Amino acid sequence: MNSVIPVLDPASPQAEAIHNLFLLVLLISAVIFAIVAGLILVAISRGRQRQTLPKQDFGSEKSEIFWMIGPVLIVIWLVAISANLVITLNAIPQADPDGKTDINDIDLIVTGHQWWWEVKYPKSGVITANEIYIPADKNKKFRVQVSSDDVIHCFWVPQLGRKIDAIPGRDNFIWLQASQPGSYQGRCSEYCGAQHAWMNFKVYAVTDAEFDEWVASEQLANKQPKLLSPLANSGKQFFFQATCPQCHTIYGTPAEATIGPDLTHFARRKEIGAGVIENTPENLALWLKDPQALKPGCKMPDFKLSDEHLKQLVAYLETLK
Amino acid sequence: MSSYFDLTSELWKWNSPIWLLVLSLTGLYFLFHRGTSGKRSVAFLFAMFALAIAYISPIGVLSDGYLFSAHVIQHLILLLIVPLFLLLSLSESATEALFSHPFMNRLGRVMAVPFVGWLSGLGVMWFWHVPSFCNASTENYALGVFRDATFLLAGLAFWWPIFSPVKRFHLPSSLAVVYLFSACLGCTLLGIYITFTVISVCPAFANPVDRLGIMHFLYDQGLTPATDQRLGGLLMWIPPCSLYVCAIMVVLKRWYAEMEQTASPKTAGTTSSLREARQ
Amino acid sequence: MTTGSIEQSERTSLEPPVTSTLLLDWVSTLDHKRIGIMYILTAVFYLAIGGCEALLMRIQLAMPNNTFLSPEMFNQLFTMHGTTMVFLVGMPVLTGFGNYFVPLMIGARDVAFPRLNAFGFWMLFFGGLLLHFSFLTGSAPNAGWFSYVPLSTKAYSSLQGVDYWIIGLLIMGIGTVSGAINIFVTIICMRTPGMSLQRVPLFVWMMLMQVILIILALPALNSALSMLLIDRWLGSAFFDPTRGGSAVLWQHYFWIFGHPEVYILILPAFGMISEVIPVFSRKPIYGYTFVAASSVAIVLLGYGVWAHHMFAVGLGMYADIFFAVGSLLIAIPTGIKVFNWTATLWGGEIRFNTALHFAVAFLLQFVIGGLTGIMFAAVPIDWQLTDTYFVVAHFHYVLIGGTVFSLFSAAFYWFPKMTGRMLNERLGILQFWLWVLGFNMTFMIQHFLGMMGMPRRVYTYADNPGWALLNGISSLGAVFMAIGTLIFLWNIGTSLLRGKVAGDNPWDAFTLEWATTSPPPPENFTVIPEVKSRRPVWDLNHPKNADWKTEKTPPDKGIRPNMAKLAAWSFIASEAVFFLLLLIAYVVFNTRSGEGAVSSSVLDVERTGIFSLFLISSSVTFWIAERFLRAGKKSAFVFSLGLTILLGITFLAGQVWEYTGLLTNNITINTDLFSATFFTVTGFHGIHVTAGVIALFVMLMMGIKGNLTPGKSHVFGAVGVYWHFVDVVWLAVFGIIYLGLLQ
Repeated sequence: MNSVIPVLDPASPQAEAIHNLFLLVLLISAVIFAIVAGLILVAISRGRQRQTLPKQDFGSEKSEIFWMIGPVLIVIWLVAISANLVITLNAIPQADPDGKTDINDIDLIVTGHQWWWEVKYPKSGVITANEIYIPADKNKKFRVQVSSDDVIHCFWVPQLGRKIDAIPGRDNFIWLQASQPGSYQGRCSEYCGAQHAWMNFKVYAVTDAEFDEWVASEQLANKQPKLLSPLANSGKQFFFQATCPQCHTIYGTPAEATIGPDLTHFARRKEIGAGVIENTPENLALWLKDPQALKPGCKMPDFKLSDEHLKQLVAYLETLK
Repeated sequence: MSSYFDLTSELWKWNSPIWLLVLSLTGLYFLFHRGTSGKRSVAFLFAMFALAIAYISPIGVLSDGYLFSAHVIQHLILLLIVPLFLLLSLSESATEALFSHPFMNRLGRVMAVPFVGWLSGLGVMWFWHVPSFCNASTENYALGVFRDATFLLAGLAFWWPIFSPVKRFHLPSSLAVVYLFSACLGCTLLGIYITFTVISVCPAFANPVDRLGIMHFLYDQGLTPATDQRLGGLLMWIPPCSLYVCAIMVVLKRWYAEMEQTASPKTAGTTSSLREARQ
Repeated sequence: MTTGSIEQSERTSLEPPVTSTLLLDWVSTLDHKRIGIMYILTAVFYLAIGGCEALLMRIQLAMPNNTFLSPEMFNQLFTMHGTTMVFLVGMPVLTGFGNYFVPLMIGARDVAFPRLNAFGFWMLFFGGLLLHFSFLTGSAPNAGWFSYVPLSTKAYSSLQGVDYWIIGLLIMGIGTVSGAINIFVTIICMRTPGMSLQRVPLFVWMMLMQVILIILALPALNSALSMLLIDRWLGSAFFDPTRGGSAVLWQHYFWIFGHPEVYILILPAFGMISEVIPVFSRKPIYGYTFVAASSVAIVLLGYGVWAHHMFAVGLGMYADIFFAVGSLLIAIPTGIKVFNWTATLWGGEIRFNTALHFAVAFLLQFVIGGLTGIMFAAVPIDWQLTDTYFVVAHFHYVLIGGTVFSLFSAAFYWFPKMTGRMLNERLGILQFWLWVLGFNMTFMIQHFLGMMGMPRRVYTYADNPGWALLNGISSLGAVFMAIGTLIFLWNIGTSLLRGKVAGDNPWDAFTLEWATTSPPPPENFTVIPEVKSRRPVWDLNHPKNADWKTEKTPPDKGIRPNMAKLAAWSFIASEAVFFLLLLIAYVVFNTRSGEGAVSSSVLDVERTGIFSLFLISSSVTFWIAERFLRAGKKSAFVFSLGLTILLGITFLAGQVWEYTGLLTNNITINTDLFSATFFTVTGFHGIHVTAGVIALFVMLMMGIKGNLTPGKSHVFGAVGVYWHFVDVVWLAVFGIIYLGLLQ
C-alpha cells in the first residue's frame, strides 16, 4: 500500500503542483548539466590532442553577457513560477476559488511531542495520537494548526504536500487534503532528539461516510463491554493502581494526564509507538514488556512488569476500542 | 472589482500634480543639456517615467494612506531610482562647466564627502519611519510633499559620490564598495525591524480611511495591515540591497578598467626584469 | 615607501635558538609555510576522525532496524561528523593552503602578523581537542551540527555535550577570525610592487573574499553561542519559549553565520580551480574580471539568503519569496564562473593529469550540487525535500564534490612546490576513480532516498521498499572513498621519500610561488620577478608572449595602508557584528507588547548618563594623547593617556555600581528577558572596556619607558580605533537600552 517514491506519487492537488514544479526544474537542470558536461568533455578531448601553444584568450565581455542572458531568463522564470506556487499553496482566501474556506476555521490541531504526535479535532472533540483521518475529497481542505509541546519537530506527509515545522511557542498553519482514499505515511522531519527516527504517523484518507463514522465512534466515551473478561478486569485494576494514569488519558476514567498519547481508543489504532511496530496483541505485549528495547530513549520507562500483569494489561487495552 | 492594470480604474490618478514637475524638468533638460547622447536621454526619460509612475500608478494612489508597502515602493523610487537616473542622464562636459563655479565646486566637494551622502540617504529613510513622523506626513498633504522632496534631494546626495557626472567627485573604488555595502546594512536593519516588529511602524496605515472603496479588494488579496507591514519591511531591504549590489558591480567594472597611469609605467626605477627581494 | 615595508625591515630575526629539536621547531614556528602545513595536517587528522564517524554511521544505516549503534551513539556521531568536517577539516585545510600560498603568490616574505598567525592555529588546535575530549566524558554533543533550540537547551540536553560544542566553537572561532584578519591585512598591505589588487592571482582574490566573509559572519555564530551558553549555565530564557524566549531566533542567528559559512568553504575552492585549470590548459583564465567580480556579488548576496534554510519554519509567504529570489539570484554569479572555467578549457592545450582530473570532476559534481541547490531555492520544492536525504545529497555534492575534490586537485598541483617532490600520477589516477566511484555511489543514491521520504538524522528506518537496497549501496560507496583516501596518504608518504624531484616550476605555471625553489626558503624569495600583469612568471618564462604586451591591467598605485590600523578596523568590524546581533536580540525581546519592558523602571538613566559622559570624554582625551604622541610631547602624552585610563575605569566603576544595585534588588540575568538581554549586552561591553583599559595600560607603560616613539604612533592609533569603537557601541547601547529608542 505504501508508495515507493512518495514525493513523485502525489495524492493531493498541493502535492501534485509541487511534483510538477519539481519535474520541470529537474528537466531544466538535466538540460543545463548535459550542455555544461558536454562542453567540458569536448574541450578536454580536443585539448588533449593539441600540441601547440593555444591562443592566450583573456576573455570577451560580450560573450560573458551573451551567455548569461539564458540563465538570467531562466532564473526570472523560476522566480515567477515558484512565487506563484507559494502564494497559491498558502491559499489566502481569495486564492481558493469557491471562496468558502475561512483560514481561521481550524479543523485539526497537531502537536508534536518527543516522540509522538498528538492529534485533536477541535470541532468534534476527537483526540487521538499518531493517526489522522480525513475525508478523501478534492473539495474539502482541512485547516491544520501545527505546534509543539517541547522541541522543534516537523510535520510531513510527502504524498499530501509540504512540510511545516512544529515549533514550541508558535502556531503554524497548513492545508491538508487528499484527492483519493488511501493511507499516507507521515514522518517527523526535524531532528528532535533520541527517537526522532520513530516519530512516524499515518494519514488515512477515507470516504465521507467512513470519516463521519470514524468521528462518531471516536467521540463516544470509551464504550467498554459491560462485562470485561476476568483477565481484562484485572488488567483494568492494575492499570489504575500502577503509574499509567500519570501519563495517559482514558476518557471517562480518572486517567487524565496528557504527558503521553491518549489511550481512549487505543485498540483501534494500527501502530504502536509512532510507527515502531504494528498494533497487535503480541506486539503490544512486547512493547509493554520493555518499551526501551523497541524505542530506546523514549519517555516510557521499562516497568519490569511480570508476565501475569502483562497479560492482564494487554487484555484490558485491547478492549479500548 | 478593480484591477491594478485597468488604467481607467480608481487605482490610477492621472491628474496628479507631479506632471508639473515632470514636464518642467523635461523642458529644462532638453533645452539646456548639451552633449546629450542617446543613452543619456533614455536615462533621463526613464527617471521621468519612474517619477510619474510613483504618483499616478496604483503605487502612488495606494501609498496615500492605504498600503504601507506601496508607500515603501514609492519612496524607494524617489530616493533611489529617480536621482540615480537623473545623475546618469547628465554628461560630464555639460555639467563640468557648472561645477567649476567656486560655489558649485564647494557644494560638489561637500556632497562628495561620503558621510554626507550616506547620512542623507539613510537618515532620511530612518527619520520618516519614526511612527509619529510617518503618520504626520501621511495625513498632512503639505508635510507629505516636503517629505517627498527630501527623498529626492537625499537621493541625489546619496548617489553623488558614486555616480556624479563630474568624475572628480567620485569616491575611490574600495571606499565606494564599503559605502554601498554599509548602506545596504543600514536599510537592512530598518527593513528587518519593520518586518519582524509587532508594533505598527506607521499607524496611519493600520486603519486607513477608505476614500476609494477598495479596502475589501486589498484584504481579499491578503494585504491585512500586519502582512502589509511585513511586506513593506521586506521591500525596504531586499530591492535596495539588490540595487546596491548592481552599483557595486558598476564600481568594480570601473576599478578593473583603471588603466590611466599616474606616474611612469616602470616600477621603482628598475629596468631589469628581476628585483632583489626585500629582506 | 609606505609604513608596511618599514615594519618588515624592523622585524626581528626568525632564526631558531641554538638548541632546539625538530618538534620544538614546529611547535614554536612563526613561519607561515610551517603554520600552513600544520593547519593541513590537523585537517587531515580530523578528516580521518570525521570519516570514521561517517563510516560508522553508514554501517548502521546499511540495514533497516540495525542495532550496530545505539540511537545515542548515532546522534553523537552525526553531530560530531558535521561539526568536525566543517570546523576542523574544511576551514583549517583552506586556511592552511591560504597561509602557505597567499604570501608566496603576492611576493611577500610572511604574513602581516606571524605571531598572531601561530596564535590562531593553536586556538584551533586546542579548540578541536576540547571538542573531542567530550567523547571521553561519554557525552559528545548530540544536538546536530547546527544545534537547534530548544533541543540544545538544558531542558532537553542536560548532559554536557552541547557545552563542549559551544566552548570548542568559541575557542576555534577566535582562532579563525584572527587568522582571517591576518590574511586580510597581508593581502591588502604586503603585495610586492607592481601587483595591484586587480592583478592578484584568483586564489588570492578568493581568499580575500573568504576572509571578509569570516570576519563578518563568524561573530553571528559567537553571539548565538554566547546566548545559548548563558541560557544553559545561568538559566536565562533566550531560547526557552515557555518563558518568552524564541526557538526561531537561534535559527536566524545561526544561519546568518551558516550561509556565509558555506561560501567560506567554497570560495577558496573556486580559487584553487581557477589556478589549476589555466595552467593545465596553457592559457590564462577566461574573463578574470568576471570571475573576480562575480565573487564579490556572491559575498554580498550571501548575507541576504540565510532564511532559505528556514523555508519550513513558516516565516510567511512574503519572507519565503524574498529569500527565494535572493537564493535564485546567487546562481547567476556562480554560473558565470562555470562558464569561464569551461571557456578556459576550450581551445586549450590540455595536460590531463591527476590535478586536472580532479578539477574536471569538481566542475561536473559542483554543477550537480548547484542545480539541486536551485531546486531548493524554488520554495515549494524545498517544502518537500528539505530535511531529507535529498538535502544531504545536495550539500555533500557541493562540499565533497566541490571543496574536497578541488583540494585533491590543489594537492597534486601544489605538493611539488611544498615538498620539492612530485606525487605519483598512477596512484593519483587510481585514487581519483575510487573517489569518483565511491562519492557518486554514496550520494547520488541519496537523492532518491530523499524522494522516497527518508528524513535526515535518523538512526535507523523500517524495512520500507527500496530503502534497504539503496542505503546499502550508499554505504558501500563510503568504502571506496575510504580506500581512495588511504591510497592518497600512501602516495604522499612514498612521494615524500622517493618522489621525482620537482624543481622550481615543474608545471610551467604562471604565478609568483613558482618563481622560487621547491620548497621555498624561509624568506620565500631571493629575487622577485617584476609584476606587470596577472601572470608574472609566465611573462618571465615566455617573454615573447608576455601578457602585458596584449592585455592591459590596472597598474599598482602603491597604496599600502598601515597594517596595524587596518587590523584594528577589521577587528572592530567583526566585533560590530557581534554587538549588533546582541542588540537586535535586546530589541526583539523587549519590544513585544505587554510584559514589563522594564528598562525605565529599574535603570537609573541619569546616573548612567553621567558615567557615559566619562566614557565618551575618554575618547577625547585619547585623541589628545595621540596628538601629543605624534608631536613627540612625552609627558603630555603620558598625562592624557593616564587620564583616559582613569575615565575608563570610572565608567567601569559606574557599571559595577549599577550591577550591584540590580543584583541586590534580585534582578539577575535569569530573572526575565529584559535582564537577560541587559546583562548580556552591557556585560560584553564591559568586558570590551576592561580589555581596552588593559591595552591602554600597556601603552602607558611603554610610553613611560620611552618605547612608544612618534614613529610608532600608528600602533597607538590602532588601539585608538578599538577604544573609539567601544565608545560608539556604548552610544548605541545607551540609546537603545537606557533611552528606549526603537521601543
